[in-house]
Amino acid sequence: MSGAANLIAWLNLAAAGDAPAFRCLYDATSAKLFGIILRILHERGEAEDVLQEVYTTVWRKAAEFDASRASPITWMATIARNRAIDRLRSRASRPSAPIEAAAEVRDERATAEDVMVAGDEARRVVAALAQLDARHAAAIRSTYFEGLTYEALAERDGVPVGTLKSWVRRGLIRMKGELAA
Amino acid sequence: MTDDLTPVPDSEAMALDYALGALDREARLTAQLRLARDPAFRAEVEGWQATLAPLDDEVAAVPPPSSLWDRIAAETMPSGAPRFVPAAPVRPSLWSSLGLWRGLAMASVAAVAVLLAVRPAPAPPSQLLVATLASDTGAALLTATYDASRGAVILTPAGKAQADGRTPELWVIEGDNPPRSLGTIDIGSPEAHAIPAERLKGLKPGSTLAISLEPPGGSKTGGPTGPVVATGKLTGI
Repeated sequence: MSGAANLIAWLNLAAAGDAPAFRCLYDATSAKLFGIILRILHERGEAEDVLQEVYTTVWRKAAEFDASRASPITWMATIARNRAIDRLRSRASRPSAPIEAAAEVRDERATAEDVMVAGDEARRVVAALAQLDARHAAAIRSTYFEGLTYEALAERDGVPVGTLKSWVRRGLIRMKGELAA
Repeated sequence: MTDDLTPVPDSEAMALDYALGALDREARLTAQLRLARDPAFRAEVEGWQATLAPLDDEVAAVPPPSSLWDRIAAETMPSGAPRFVPAAPVRPSLWSSLGLWRGLAMASVAAVAVLLAVRPAPAPPSQLLVATLASDTGAALLTATYDASRGAVILTPAGKAQADGRTPELWVIEGDNPPRSLGTIDIGSPEAHAIPAERLKGLKPGSTLAISLEPPGGSKTGGPTGPVVATGKLTGI
């Protein structure tokens, strides 16, 4: 992954219509964004459609990127997550994951390996999550990584929706507090 | 609920839920509408997004198939041309939308929308300026007539289209200046509504009119933020 400064420069160039810069931006970020989308949607074809939408949006909205409000990769990853979740929600009544994936409930605890690969900021977030009750942290991870609604996760884990919401919201607020400390 | 703590305030809960991605379709839409018009809420959401974003490092990167770039390039840079080059230099953010929104058309249009007439006398010599606003595929969507003597812009729809819940906003681009809003247009109803006279000042042959689709209530930034669905140049008749 290239540094944020490169991404910002490419975004600014793309905003002015610079196609090669846009290609550089795509090459540097598409695998990360595709990973995020695929984790939410599971279906490759659908994930590819969404990735296409995401880069079309990035190209169109590059001029709106504001480095004072978000890092470039967060800005792009947020577009990707939102598009993937919108797509997930617009599925009529299909399950959010293939049957075989639903059967094995993913263990959303971070492995030591995950943490080693992650950057400093990610390590801090993971450390802050680790301060929480394990069930609360796992619920936060499942909603974030899989795009599950509170309702879907509550049903999957057999927890009342109200309880789950409370775990997640309080957990996140505590986590933010830890990070700010 | 077994927690004995005070409840999380609604607004904070919604910001957090949205950033996390836990809302169902309907609640999500509510949050998205609020994002478009409530800067404080948007800042709160962005704060949560920034807090959570480092977790993305844990997601395994997956290279997309190489054919995907071709699809993206075809959509963003049609026919191999670098991109649409406007005749007059204008702000890129507006024009960058132009090549992209083929297929999006203007709202299902009621008969006529008249933007009225607040211009006081004395009237300048009567002059009519007309622009046909077309999508970038060339499909004419509406005709805008500017009657300088009445200070009115009259829009006559030429085609059908969909605004998709968003608000069409009319812009004028004069020379090198950034697009200037002439206000939102309510093409869903034939009701007339006013454009302040000072906004209409300076419309002249060669000015470009454009319509973008904005969040309900119109763009909050002072410039077009949504897809540009039609543009056209004013010419005298």
